[in-house]
Amino acid sequence: MLPVPLPHTLALAAVLFCLGMVGVMVRRNALVVFMCVELMLNAANLTFLAFAQAHGDTTGHVSAFFVIAVAAAEASVGLAIVIAVFRSRGTVNLEELKTMKH
Amino acid sequence: MDLLCHVRDFVLAAAEGAGEAAKHGEGAAREAALGVQAFKRVGYLWLIPFFPMVGAIVNAVVGARLQKRFGKSVVTNLAIGAMAAAFVTAAVAFVDLVGQPEHERLLVNHLWNMFTAGDVQANLTFALDPLSMMMVLIITFIGALIHVYSVGYMAEDPDTWRFFAYLNLFVFSMLLLVMGDNFVLMFFGWEGVGLCSYLLIGFWYKDIDKAKAAVKAFVTNRIGDFGFVLGLFLLFWALGGQWEKRSVIPPHESRWALADPAHLYEARAEAGTTYVADPTLSPQTPPATYAEVEKLATPEGWRPGASIATRDGGKVRVGPTLSFRELRDQIAVESTGVKNRLTGLTFFGMPLLALVGILLFVGATAKSAQIPLYVWLPDAMAGPTPVSALIHAATMVTAGVYMVARLNFLFALSTTAMTVIACTGAATALFAASIGFVQNDIKKVLAYSTVSQLGFMFIGVGVGAYWAGTYHLLTHAFFKACLFLGSGSVILGCHHEQDMRKMGGLKKYMPLTEKTYLYACIAISGFPLANGFFSKDEILWKAFDAGNNLADPALGKVIWLVGWVTALGTAFYMWRSYYLTFTGEYRGGHGAHESGDAHGHHGGLPHESPRSMTWVLAALAVGCFLTIFLGLWGPAGVEPVLERWLEPVLAPSHALVAARGAHEGPLAEWLLMAASVAVAFGGWAAARALYKDAKSTVPATLAAKYPRLHRWVLDKYYVDEAYRKTVLAAIWAGAKACDLFDRVVVDGAVNAAAAVGRFVCDVDGAIDKYLVDGAVNFVADGALGFGRALRRVQTGRLEHYLYAAVAGALAVVLLTFLVQ
Amino acid sequence: MLPVLNNADSLAYFWPEMILTAGAMGVFLFDLAVAKSPRRILWLTVASLGVLAAAALATSHVAGLSPTPIGLFNGLLVLDPWAVFFKYLSWAVTALAILIAGPSLEVASERMGEYCALLLAVAVGMSLMASSTDMLMMVIGVELVSMVSYALAGFKKHDRKSSEAALKYVVYGGVASGMMLFGMSYLYGLLGTTNLVGTAARMNAQAAMLAQAGVAASVAGAGRVAMVVAVVLVLSGVGYKIASVPWHMWCPDVYEGAPTPFTAFLSVGPKAAGFALAVRILYGAMSVSGGADLATAVADVPWPQVVGVIAGLTMTVGNFAALNQTNLKRMLAYSSIAHAGYILMGVAAASETGSQSVALYLVVYLFMNLGAFLVVGIVGRLSGSESIFEYRGLSARAPFAAVAFAVFLFSLTGLPPLAGFVGKFHLFKALVDRGGSWQITLAIVGLLNSAVSLYYYARIVKAMFLDKPHTEERIAVPASYNLLLGALVGLVLVFGVYFDGLRQLAGSSVVLFGHS
Repeated sequence: MLPVPLPHTLALAAVLFCLGMVGVMVRRNALVVFMCVELMLNAANLTFLAFAQAHGDTTGHVSAFFVIAVAAAEASVGLAIVIAVFRSRGTVNLEELKTMKH
Repeated sequence: MDLLCHVRDFVLAAAEGAGEAAKHGEGAAREAALGVQAFKRVGYLWLIPFFPMVGAIVNAVVGARLQKRFGKSVVTNLAIGAMAAAFVTAAVAFVDLVGQPEHERLLVNHLWNMFTAGDVQANLTFALDPLSMMMVLIITFIGALIHVYSVGYMAEDPDTWRFFAYLNLFVFSMLLLVMGDNFVLMFFGWEGVGLCSYLLIGFWYKDIDKAKAAVKAFVTNRIGDFGFVLGLFLLFWALGGQWEKRSVIPPHESRWALADPAHLYEARAEAGTTYVADPTLSPQTPPATYAEVEKLATPEGWRPGASIATRDGGKVRVGPTLSFRELRDQIAVESTGVKNRLTGLTFFGMPLLALVGILLFVGATAKSAQIPLYVWLPDAMAGPTPVSALIHAATMVTAGVYMVARLNFLFALSTTAMTVIACTGAATALFAASIGFVQNDIKKVLAYSTVSQLGFMFIGVGVGAYWAGTYHLLTHAFFKACLFLGSGSVILGCHHEQDMRKMGGLKKYMPLTEKTYLYACIAISGFPLANGFFSKDEILWKAFDAGNNLADPALGKVIWLVGWVTALGTAFYMWRSYYLTFTGEYRGGHGAHESGDAHGHHGGLPHESPRSMTWVLAALAVGCFLTIFLGLWGPAGVEPVLERWLEPVLAPSHALVAARGAHEGPLAEWLLMAASVAVAFGGWAAARALYKDAKSTVPATLAAKYPRLHRWVLDKYYVDEAYRKTVLAAIWAGAKACDLFDRVVVDGAVNAAAAVGRFVCDVDGAIDKYLVDGAVNFVADGALGFGRALRRVQTGRLEHYLYAAVAGALAVVLLTFLVQ
Repeated sequence: MLPVLNNADSLAYFWPEMILTAGAMGVFLFDLAVAKSPRRILWLTVASLGVLAAAALATSHVAGLSPTPIGLFNGLLVLDPWAVFFKYLSWAVTALAILIAGPSLEVASERMGEYCALLLAVAVGMSLMASSTDMLMMVIGVELVSMVSYALAGFKKHDRKSSEAALKYVVYGGVASGMMLFGMSYLYGLLGTTNLVGTAARMNAQAAMLAQAGVAASVAGAGRVAMVVAVVLVLSGVGYKIASVPWHMWCPDVYEGAPTPFTAFLSVGPKAAGFALAVRILYGAMSVSGGADLATAVADVPWPQVVGVIAGLTMTVGNFAALNQTNLKRMLAYSSIAHAGYILMGVAAASETGSQSVALYLVVYLFMNLGAFLVVGIVGRLSGSESIFEYRGLSARAPFAAVAFAVFLFSLTGLPPLAGFVGKFHLFKALVDRGGSWQITLAIVGLLNSAVSLYYYARIVKAMFLDKPHTEERIAVPASYNLLLGALVGLVLVFGVYFDGLRQLAGSSVVLFGHS
């Protein structure tokens, strides 16, 4: 199997990261925002793996596991909070969550 | 007398290392005798003034209540008990003192240092030497007697507690005065007795005249005190004192440079006097340890209170001091060189010691009622008679004499000062006696008599006869107290009548009073039957023999003449008072009330006083007799007891005075004695002729013939009026001028300054309000505005937060590259 | 070199965290046991405090086991004085947070067990953050703290503000951790390892390699950019944790919305752990010793200046935005942003005294900030109001609390003779001792900011003492709160005067990675 050149993986990861970032900033629905956060974390994962392969070091792979676990935990907590917000507000639209400002 | 002095010197020198005397001659023998004053430390002397102080405090604080609840006896017994306790303690001290070897008769009780400021060290130290011991015994004994007398005299007065409180306070102050080891304590006592005199003269203060008399006494005393303090400052400064520490002293300015071979300070002849340098005052006399002196003259070696070792091994603390003992040591011990320095110093051209002596004497002038500050004493008769007896006869007025006797070593160094003292004393004696001739108030007669006798005392200490002056102080205390208390008894018996013209024939009504008064008159006029003769005669003899102790050798004779004439006058007016009061028929009606309180009094005839009063009179009369023996000369070669007793105190001046004397022979002495007796008889005879039984019309005729002269003398030569017109008027004018100045100039300046200040403040306020506050508010508003702007950045919208986070990260990246 | 232990051996040094983990779960179970008890809050508090006490004892035991720093778990953690110091700090913060939570009405009685257990879990996370030497462990620690914090921020389930705060927190935190992880991945790629030990050498080697003659300019540039971006991304994660500009914007909302006891904890605990981490990364890992106690940054990453600029901006934004606040919690949130700025000054000093002052300030900050939030909790407890209006005339309604609040506020300003002054002084001193123009400028900015901060702190004091209260009713203050207030005030006053011991303790803790 042909190894994927490092720059390509890195570029993909970077694009994913930027997409995720932009999505977080732009999207209004909290769930979609969480998905974008996951996207960012996955980009990091990809980078870890790319470098792990480039260095021939397993640390990157281990890191990827870490990141996946963290992402999962984050997702669960985040979704629980989204539910809580929905219960008290009736909406998950981020634009309407501006009670506390200035 | 002089022969005796020489003999005594020899005996003393023989007793204390005659070998030295033989080798080094008389000068060395004298110096060996004048070593450092040895003393003994004791712990109980403070009790002597303590008891009267406690009595005064208790009576002052709770006396009124005690008197109201328990009656007067508690108050009086307390006061008398305090006096008795003081006397007993004084007696114990006396026994202690007598037990000491003759030249170590000084008991010192140091309590604590009150304050130290630079060279000034004020210690609470009591000291008893023969002179002050004698004074203490007089004060406590006669004081106790007068306390007892006062019980009877003030029986009708409701304010007994106040009286006894003041009396005790007075005794306390007087004891401080005589027992103080240094000028500070003496001055405390000095002022204290002045205060008590004011309180007691003005005891019946509701009478405005009495209050005015009290104020007059106090103010006059203050004037004298001013002189006293000036003299003290001058002395202190002359000794090298400063109010701050010196850091570096150039050797030639050091006080140690005195005993120096370079003769920087030589004993100079005082201008206008035929001062003969005392051989022992030669600057050639080197100090015992000059190396020590040299070291002390350097900045590092100098320290206050350093001492010099003298040849006989004692240590003298040389330098500015307020302690009498240290002052005496410095001057008496030749090797310190202090005497040389002091005699050589001048102050703005005037010899310093003369100035010091005169200024100190000014203080004595006020306290002891000499010209020109005697004017308060006659007015002081406004106080109750026991007060007059105690304060204005026996004790307070003698403070000036005591002071001069205490500082004999200082006064003896300046013949100018001595001359001033002696002449003032003589003039006062004569002047006051003349006024006494025509007074009608019995107490006024006695007052002028006191002033006159004080003049005598000052003649005595002025010509260098310190023991004679002190002896006259002692005898005067007894007979004058007896006279005053007798007059008090008379006044009380005549229902508060004081005018002698309204008395007469009291012999049969008041026998005991009459007898004691008679004996006291014998004493004061100078009959050899009582003590007054011995003291007065000694003074007059010493004045005659003064010689070079005064500015002019003839002055001594002149002073003798004046004193002799005064003695004649004394005898005359004292016997006048006796005959007017006690002989003839009683001329009084129902007595005029003299005291301020009106109280019902029985009958019109005089009566004898209660026993508490007459016993005191008797005791004092007995004292007049017994004190003869203190001054009685013994067989040849033995001097009177008192002279011997006071010898240690007067030793520093003795040799100097003796050397300068006229050295008249014993023949002159006996002749003068005869003259004194003659004059006493003469005065008595004249008085008897004119006033016995008030039969003679000569006095009245004389008064009618020279009405203006009579008026003039009767009104005390209008001295008071003269003072009022000149001194007081000047002072009041000065005060008015000062007031005007204060109101116009000073207040005007202050108000102007205030106006300027207000203007400046207004300007300041405006600057602050508009400029400063404006700037500050501008900044504050800017900050708040900036804050508000920042607040608005926080929109509350999450996406904005995230924009900011990402943009911020980018910015930080850029920043990192910028920084590099 | 740092001795490193393998997993099995490391367990002996891992007692505190193990105790806490077990304790957290134990408290959960204990909560069931005391579910029906009327005094369950007391029991739970006691149990949690017991766990923390055991952890503290274990920490002391473990610290005594190895006098020199020692690496654990094959290089993931390190046990050095810096870690130990922050462990103690974490236990203290957690203990105080639990004590505050008990009488508070914002934490419902039936949920106290969860609260305590979750706090204990956060404590574990803080400890891991402070002692991590590997980027992965950093992630674990940060995420542990963050996750539990999200939950705790939204603890008041039905409260609108609380859930909004939690949502903002979780999204923001997620983005921040995403950025951090991405940066870490690149760092891993550039440096070849996730381990922080030896980072400086590697970075310098990297820079040297790129600076070699044979390397093309574009490659070198790219490499430098990559390094810088990676580091900045990692730092953004840390910066989010300590709430520094520009990653501070979550702070006011989250602080305002979260229950007050948790806000108190949040303002100190995770911030302290974040600073521990920041110092470890920047001063410990990314700098080489530059003589005396100073450090120079690695090539390509001049972090002292950057951190200095961030510090200046953070203080300014925090202080000025707080000027007009009327909500106390929001105001204190901005205040804690400002304080993060001050502490960053100590980091920017890049010296041993700088790190010492950071540690010192965090201890002092713990007392005064917790105290301040405690008073906010007291006032808001029954009235539910956090507005400054409620604080008017507090001196009449709750005198002790008012006085204590005044002490805390003045300490936060940095007025002597209070502890806050001591802390600020040491921060300024560290900066000024460093010398250099930008350091002095930063110090001056810090001083001006402290002056500005006096306005909003004193405004509260003025309201408390000089204004009339809107009601005369006295505020009921639970006894434990009074005791706690007294203890905190006492500590603030004492450390304002006797701070030498504290300073020496802080100084001795500045031993990172086996060297100071």
